[in-house]
Amino acid sequence: MAEKTFYQEYEVFSKRTPSSAFQHQFSLLAPNEDMALVMAQENFMRREPVADIWIVNRKHIRAMDAEEKLTLGRLDNKQYRTTKGYGYLKKKWRHYEQQMLDEKEILSWGGDGK
Amino acid sequence: MSNLTMMTEEEKLEQFVQRIEAGDKIEADDWMPEEYRMALIKLISMHGISEIMGALPEKEWVPKAPSLHRKLGIMAKVQDEMGHGQLLLRVAEDLLKPYGKNRGDLMQDLFNGDLKFHNVFHMDTRTWGDAGLIGWLVDGAAIITQTNMLGASYGPYARALQRICAEEVFHAQHGEAIIMALAEGTEEQRAMVQDALNRWWDALLMFFGPASKDTTGSSKQDVTIKYKIRTKTNEQLRQAFFDKYVPRILSLGLKLPDPTMHYDEENKVWVYQQPDWAEFKKIIKNQGPRSQERLNLRRTSYENNAWVRDALAATVS
Repeated sequence: MAEKTFYQEYEVFSKRTPSSAFQHQFSLLAPNEDMALVMAQENFMRREPVADIWIVNRKHIRAMDAEEKLTLGRLDNKQYRTTKGYGYLKKKWRHYEQQMLDEKEILSWGGDGK
Repeated sequence: MSNLTMMTEEEKLEQFVQRIEAGDKIEADDWMPEEYRMALIKLISMHGISEIMGALPEKEWVPKAPSLHRKLGIMAKVQDEMGHGQLLLRVAEDLLKPYGKNRGDLMQDLFNGDLKFHNVFHMDTRTWGDAGLIGWLVDGAAIITQTNMLGASYGPYARALQRICAEEVFHAQHGEAIIMALAEGTEEQRAMVQDALNRWWDALLMFFGPASKDTTGSSKQDVTIKYKIRTKTNEQLRQAFFDKYVPRILSLGLKLPDPTMHYDEENKVWVYQQPDWAEFKKIIKNQGPRSQERLNLRRTSYENNAWVRDALAATVS
């Protein structure tokens, strides 16, 4: 009888390096959080580098049901929110002999910079 | 139209089939037909338990491995197999939820003989050649069947297989390393590999299951293909195994145990002698050479470790 309530379900997240984002790995069963952390390493991180681990008891996760997932669908009429709606600028800038500052260009400014 | 609570069972099934046809992934909490759930439970619990039962014949070789390096390698592999068992049992347990069952029940099913494990893990391992051959060809066969399901319609299984197959690459090379060392060794070592191949050949052919259900009375391949859990038939997988491994076996100077085996260029198939499928039926009914010893080993360790589960359970509020 004890076994029916022995394990709790945990979802495991980890990141490879200090600067990377957490990624969902898989789930596991453990009797408590400390064991869950140990099991997470044993089960999912035997080889690849790992910088941090989170374990989350499944009962604390509010997931979406199939009905709610339908609300995630998007209408294809939001180009004004994306760079796609401003793609025509490339041609305009070419007329003024300038390069367009696109995503690739702008995100490159954070580094040592050229 | 999309209100799931208002839909009839027929409408749900229709939408489910459409999702599968469209290549959508089904998740644990999604509605699914009973037939799909049952097919997954059978397949994945058998796969998971086989990983665990498969670690047993391999662990027998840890103390007998010829060097420290080999001991470490095979130990890492045994640990991986147990890890794969863990992953797969998690997937099976989520599917079992509506029936109120968990891995404890699966373990009991195994002990009762209701849950089968793969034919190859019922067999004897006699020499270090067997240990190498298991790593090379049994794992090779497993890689063929598992990669065939990487695109499975059931998301959690596909994700588990993704992790498993990544580690199987190490397993395959681990087996190749052992075989390569023996094949390039002394006359006696070469004979050891040939002897292992001879004894394991039928079990390797059986690994993929019979070509049709006419052979053994039942087969899950039709339903798993219908629901896009897998794409190839048992025979297609066996042929894929021959394509990949027969040239490698021959290149090492080994002989195929089946002297009649050849490639039919016209029909693009390997022609080979069928293994004894009556023997296969016996083996998977736990009447193989080592079935009972391995089940007893699992049973004993499960019972001996019961106190650990009980002790830890006390800390759960």
